[in-house]
Amino acid sequence: MTPIAGSVALNLAFGCSILSIITLFFYNRTADHRLFLTGQRLGLAVSFFVFIATFVLSYQLLISNFDIDYVARYTSFETPTIYKISALWAGQSGSLLFWLFILSIFNTITIIQNQSKHHTLMPWVIITMSVTQGFFLILTNFITNPFEPTQTDFIVENGNGLNPLLQNVTMAIHPPMLYLGYVGFTVPFAFAFSALVNKDTGVLWIRSIRRWTLVTWLFLSIGIILGGWWAYQELGWGGYWAWDPVENASFMPWLTATAFLHSIIIQEKKDMLRIWNMVLIILTFSLCIFGTFLTRSGVMSSVHSFTESSLGPVFLIFVFIILICSFGLMYFRIEDLRSPRKIESVTSRESGFLFNNLIFVVICFAVFWGTLFPVISEAITGNKISVGPPFFNQINIPIGLALLALTGIGPLLAWKGTSNQKLIQKFTFPTLLFLLSAVAFTFFKMTGYVVISFSLCVFVFAAIFSEFLKGIQARTSKFGESTLLAFYKMIHKNRSRYGGYIVHLGIVLMFIGFTGHAFDKEKEFGIKVGEFEKVANYNFQLTRMFEEERPNHYAWISDLRVTDNNGNFITNLRPEKRVYFHRNPDVNKRQPHSELDIFSTLNKDIYSIFSSVSNDNNTAFIKIMVNPLVKWVWIGGYLLAFGTVIALWPRKD
Amino acid sequence: MDLLKDYLFTLIVFLIPIMYSIQPLLLPKISTVKTSNSKDILRRKKIVLYRQIKELEMEYDIGNLDKEDFINRRSELKTEVSEIITELKKK
Repeated sequence: MTPIAGSVALNLAFGCSILSIITLFFYNRTADHRLFLTGQRLGLAVSFFVFIATFVLSYQLLISNFDIDYVARYTSFETPTIYKISALWAGQSGSLLFWLFILSIFNTITIIQNQSKHHTLMPWVIITMSVTQGFFLILTNFITNPFEPTQTDFIVENGNGLNPLLQNVTMAIHPPMLYLGYVGFTVPFAFAFSALVNKDTGVLWIRSIRRWTLVTWLFLSIGIILGGWWAYQELGWGGYWAWDPVENASFMPWLTATAFLHSIIIQEKKDMLRIWNMVLIILTFSLCIFGTFLTRSGVMSSVHSFTESSLGPVFLIFVFIILICSFGLMYFRIEDLRSPRKIESVTSRESGFLFNNLIFVVICFAVFWGTLFPVISEAITGNKISVGPPFFNQINIPIGLALLALTGIGPLLAWKGTSNQKLIQKFTFPTLLFLLSAVAFTFFKMTGYVVISFSLCVFVFAAIFSEFLKGIQARTSKFGESTLLAFYKMIHKNRSRYGGYIVHLGIVLMFIGFTGHAFDKEKEFGIKVGEFEKVANYNFQLTRMFEEERPNHYAWISDLRVTDNNGNFITNLRPEKRVYFHRNPDVNKRQPHSELDIFSTLNKDIYSIFSSVSNDNNTAFIKIMVNPLVKWVWIGGYLLAFGTVIALWPRKD
Repeated sequence: MDLLKDYLFTLIVFLIPIMYSIQPLLLPKISTVKTSNSKDILRRKKIVLYRQIKELEMEYDIGNLDKEDFINRRSELKTEVSEIITELKKK
């Protein structure tokens, strides 16, 4: 297919999205079902044309057609095939098309899945999704078209190639996961908006989107964790989270979505928090669009700023339109949104959920403020005041610990209210363990937040463990099942509850990993072949240093032999210093890059970076970091994903 | 010739979805669209209510509900289920 087909497909998709909105709007007035069918089919046609456009661009990237500006900018003949595909989301216009592509997949699934369901909600669901598609089609058609031809009066023989930082398998998976998360929230938002328009704000829309929300939340969580993993593996500063604006952009909707996932349980079970749930899903969707704005507008300086653009105002206008329309509609539907029931006791599970929600929103606000403050300060005073990790850590560590505590307290509370006797009965075991562990950690010379964090992890673990135990006991005494069978059936028959507890265990493991950061050690040094250097109970010997020319880069490779204090062999590390596009005659276009090597255990990671090499090629400048407990962050991530899959697993009726 | 074939193919690929989309407008007026019948909806509601009763029993068994609340809510749910069963029998 010729590249022009891609452009035409995008034009047609835009036209169909407008027609879909118009026909469904008139259907709502006339109730002529032909209009509904046409609107629905036009919605599917939009998706079809977007699929074609995405297919055409992917094909052009694979065949290295440098007549297209986007292909020339982000690939070269040397780019490996997998990164030619991932180049689809490496640049601005491609990534916006990719956003649209995922939205079109979700749009198709939603329309097909609900062909004979939710007949009152669906017209406005399709309208809302078509408006969102229409917005991204405006961007890709009129502002940043991925099919723009290369503007030169000579033949482009080779392209720029992909940024070396993006030539990493994790980076090939991380953005699609994140996008699946961002884009997926369009569906729950569309149902919420439709419920508002139709004055059907009870539990129907909540039931329709619970599974969607959980799937989307899972993708967003995996995307964020993979982002941290990529930063840890690629960026060479030894950490996985730097409160970078783009990281924050993905974290903010995650926070409100997590709050939403918790509070819809209350609406489903108790028909409470209707207004709150609407607010949360509107905020989540707006923050997803806002996150895309932060990533793509170039308004923030970030490690993720692979693109610069003038898209900012357009995105901001769209976010304002969403907020004004949604909150405006909420204002007119406020009487329908009032819940018939109220929370009766502070010691009830409902209160636990509400406090948990408030904490999520407070963290979100703190992150939002810290992220935007530099931009606001620059706009008002002309001086850019940067807000770095110390601000975010100072605010979020205590709030995060309170949230961790609530993760344990919540499951111990009963619905409606917990009597004093029950409170004592349920809290004694976890609280006792919390206190004992706090004393033990203090004895090992730990202080402050470290002691609180580790002890709270013990508390939450004990609380969840006792919940599992109670469930097993209930089944063994009621049905006479063996412990193992009771454990299996308990999870099998209550997947969302116990899947949720497994997710909480994953979060506990992640907190253990986060707390390990307090014990990090690092050293930077120059070393010649045969010399030794000591860092935190480990000896590093440079045994060899050599050079190698590879297809798309030139590399200096160092071999480091690591032994412990007693001379026992631990591992060999091989960090590399690379120069990408090393044959480019323009020295400024050659891109240096440090390829790390990490020795990872449950206890600690030994992280090596080859920073540079001396002019005489004799001395390697190496940075070593010893990072305790990092692996638990990734293990916690696996457990979080596993728990979510259990909660999602469909059950036989 | 190849270019012509390419354009022709593209034209067909683009025309089919548009024809498919506007086809309902060429039909005589439709009064109803295919939707789940009320029996299916009632059956689904019944399943959801049964699930809620099971969850309620589990909550009570592990001590997350007091007896009075449990009895009240179970009887509310059971009344709802019996109403649905009666309606289903009528259909």
